[in-house]
Amino acid sequence: MKELEEVLKDWEPVIGLECHTELTTLQTKMFCGCRLSHDDEPNTNVCPVCLGMPGALPAPNKAAIQSIVLAGLATNCEIMKRSMFYRKNYFYPDMAKNFQTTQGPIAFCMGGWLDLEVTGAAARERYDDGTLTPGPEGGYIAHVGITRIHMEEDAAKMIHVGGIDGRIDGADHSLIDYNRCGTPLIELVTEPDLRSPEEARLFMEKLRQIFLTLGISDCSLESGSMRCDGNISLRRRGTKKFGTKTELKNINSFKSLHDGLEYEIRRQAEVLEEGGIVYQETRHWETSTKRTLVMRTKETADDYRFFPEPDLAPYDLSEEFIEDVRSRLPELPDARRDRYAQSFGIKRSDAAQIAGDPDVAKFFEAAMEGKDIKLARSVANVILNDLAGYLNAEGKTVATMSITPAQVASLADLLATDAITSSQGREVFQAMAETGKDPAAIVDERGMRQVSDLSALEPVVESVLEACPDQVAQYKGGNTKVIGYLVGQCMKASKGNGNPKLFNQLLSQKLG
Amino acid sequence: MSAYIEDLDAALIAKAVKEGSISALEVAQASLDAIDKRDPQIHAFIQVTPELALKAAQDIDNARAQGKELPPLAGVPIAFKDNMHLIGSRTTCASHMLENYESVFTATAVQRMLDAGCVPVGKLNMDEFAFGSSTESSYFGHTCNPYDIERVPGGSSGGSAAAVASGMVPLTLGSDTGGSIRQPASFCGVVGFKPTYGMVSRYGIVAFGSSLDQVGPFGRSVHDVALAMNALAGRDERDCTSQPWNIDFTADLNSGVEGMKIGIVSSLNNAEGVEAEVVDAINKAAQNLTAAGAELVEVELPHAAAAIAAYYVLAPCEAFSNLARFDGVRYGHRPNDARDLADMTSRARAEGFGPEVKRRIMLGAHLLASGVYDKYYYPAQQVRALITEDYKKAYEQVDAILMPTSPHTAFKFGELSNPTQMYLSDMFTISLNIAGNAGISVPVGFGSASGLPIGAQLIGPAFQDHKLLRIAASLEASYEATQCAPGFTKKGGLLS
Repeated sequence: MKELEEVLKDWEPVIGLECHTELTTLQTKMFCGCRLSHDDEPNTNVCPVCLGMPGALPAPNKAAIQSIVLAGLATNCEIMKRSMFYRKNYFYPDMAKNFQTTQGPIAFCMGGWLDLEVTGAAARERYDDGTLTPGPEGGYIAHVGITRIHMEEDAAKMIHVGGIDGRIDGADHSLIDYNRCGTPLIELVTEPDLRSPEEARLFMEKLRQIFLTLGISDCSLESGSMRCDGNISLRRRGTKKFGTKTELKNINSFKSLHDGLEYEIRRQAEVLEEGGIVYQETRHWETSTKRTLVMRTKETADDYRFFPEPDLAPYDLSEEFIEDVRSRLPELPDARRDRYAQSFGIKRSDAAQIAGDPDVAKFFEAAMEGKDIKLARSVANVILNDLAGYLNAEGKTVATMSITPAQVASLADLLATDAITSSQGREVFQAMAETGKDPAAIVDERGMRQVSDLSALEPVVESVLEACPDQVAQYKGGNTKVIGYLVGQCMKASKGNGNPKLFNQLLSQKLG
Repeated sequence: MSAYIEDLDAALIAKAVKEGSISALEVAQASLDAIDKRDPQIHAFIQVTPELALKAAQDIDNARAQGKELPPLAGVPIAFKDNMHLIGSRTTCASHMLENYESVFTATAVQRMLDAGCVPVGKLNMDEFAFGSSTESSYFGHTCNPYDIERVPGGSSGGSAAAVASGMVPLTLGSDTGGSIRQPASFCGVVGFKPTYGMVSRYGIVAFGSSLDQVGPFGRSVHDVALAMNALAGRDERDCTSQPWNIDFTADLNSGVEGMKIGIVSSLNNAEGVEAEVVDAINKAAQNLTAAGAELVEVELPHAAAAIAAYYVLAPCEAFSNLARFDGVRYGHRPNDARDLADMTSRARAEGFGPEVKRRIMLGAHLLASGVYDKYYYPAQQVRALITEDYKKAYEQVDAILMPTSPHTAFKFGELSNPTQMYLSDMFTISLNIAGNAGISVPVGFGSASGLPIGAQLIGPAFQDHKLLRIAASLEASYEATQCAPGFTKKGGLLS
């Protein structure tokens, strides 16, 4: 197979996404009062409605409707005042009624969009035909249309026992846990506007950031509370007609989404260039072998026999309801990023990273509470470097860790005022994370205050200059870069406690 | 003591129990005895629930002994069509599929009757899953018409009508999707009321056509039916198509029809296939209403003729989907030796469902298929809108419309063996379900040729059910009080 870059010269990838998100932050299921919790003993959060017992009827969860309207407003959708639930009929035991309640041609949210800022290496996956809209920090802006967001219910979880790899073929029996059955689910469908695997990944990341900020889901790709299918086809560059698409499933990380789509682009290009045919089929991304495999072909198209759900009247949303939801719309990641960049003077890319995670953003703002704006850069640095590294290594999140915003602010302050060096900062952070002690106490305990007293630093500089005659000669011969080595020696001699900036100044003076 | 309840209607029983001239237990026992004696001949019951009945009756007697105020229908024996859940009973829908299905909750409508003091004596026979007009498709065998046991009681709520007509219980509940309350009421000479869609909760009624189904009562008088409606009507949070409603249906019941306008649709009444004795009986009923002070007004329902066609698109579509849940996975019939999932599901259904159920499911599956859907489902919905509009216009001119309930009296078993012929016998009842309006069948005497009961159907605008009952009461008053079928009546009984 050709490399992606090669393929892009001749072929234009056309990608659309379907993203399912469970509204995990709600208390109850979509059409009954059962508790939303998948971790309980199997089949304990069930009732006649979600078990599809005869005679049971659905009653919609109003809080779920609020959540989907929030999602629609946050993604620039039009909120439809009247939409209808439909039945999608298919036989499979994971859907107790043997039909899924979903929405018809008109969903709660129609016709939205999101803009993506594609920069750096990510931008190189898009072939530049000269029509791209430039981004504020290089790269380009990708405008992605959202067809609709509709409300539906999730299916039960099935476990097939006795077969290979948990597949139903060859299994001797299957177990069903209906705890998940009826979980409120929103499905967002994009227009086929995405043109690269990176754009797809960025779209999903952005969507996840927005949904997390709205607080409507825990958006875990790993646990499956957020799931994404990619539809992908190729067409000859310069042509308009869509090629045959394949549907990519089993994507449980952003990386899988990117890599799976990249693989499909390269695979389809090879098939097409060899004169073959791309079949409309569902393919499964296999992480271990890094390839896509056919799950099922769509030669016999499923007929779901959609029709309006007669047990649920057309759902009317009042102006008041919509406005009430709108008034509860929190500051969204893009707006927050801009605000951080402007009012705190931190880098736009740093601001975007912090604003993208509502917990981190909250933590950042708590750390900055009552502090001078000048401290923002230092706080952002501690959060994005020390804290992010620590959480990553420990497998924790901002929500589950014990470090407080005040501790981070105090550490940032020590760093910003040059009271400690950055390497000391890392040590203090580690100690703070392990012991829970405040940075100032750790610094005192370890006697690691940065020494900025000139009378204490001068003797160190003198002795280093004496010990390094060669470097002194080089400096005087015009190689001024050697001063870095001399500062290093001073730091070493002061056991890391000296202020490197002052060492630099003193050395320059004495050598000058 | 030998006790008879066949001449007591619900209102009388409730009054007697309240006054203490009879105990609820005595009434319950009398009803159970009547079932023991008569049901082998009629076969209205699929299941008799003596334990539930005696317990409920004892509770009422205890409450009375403690001086508590009794609910309005305290001590009145009641039985439910077997598509309604009642904890402590099976709900079979007269199908092999659910032969052993124990109710896991109680339907709202059933619970409301129990809350009103009714005593549950059993579950009633019906066409399998309510698909039919004769109760012949029941897996447990047909129910006989108490007026002629060679004939059908009508359907699908045939058991509900026959149980009242044969004096086993004074009150029953049925469900009506295309005439399933009104037509058997007509065949068995009792009162059967289909309320406006949304008036009574459908929660706990095994669904047939969700947008058409409505629960309603059978009784021997309009007054009994009104009493039942007092208990049944109103919003249920578990059925979002139910509407808030709080009205005393008995309040204006005897206020008469003076000055009211009653619509007549001549083209329908005299349509092909309507028996002469039925036409005569309806004309007589119209005269009686005029005599009571109402004015007859000729109205038109131009699209009514299309109702059956629309119904046989919409109802099977909904039924196909509603019955999909019967797959043998969680409950219901399941073959023991299935090879795999597909084999289990298809055999559970092939073995569990009878021929009429399969016919409707296949019809619905076909009508909803892509490419077919647009040709049938949408036009049917359009027809539905037109018929609804027809009725709206008619009700701008009249308070109610009078027409036959059925084009003919009860037919013999096997007589309507052609499904289409059977479908056409619902020509007067179906358009009402399509429009969602209320309708009632009131006994208006016996056929001059057949000697069998004939029902007149009065239909009215949505959520004017109380007014419709008032007109029905006035019509009823122009005839002799409804008795049980000959051979099932026993003058005297408990109160004498």
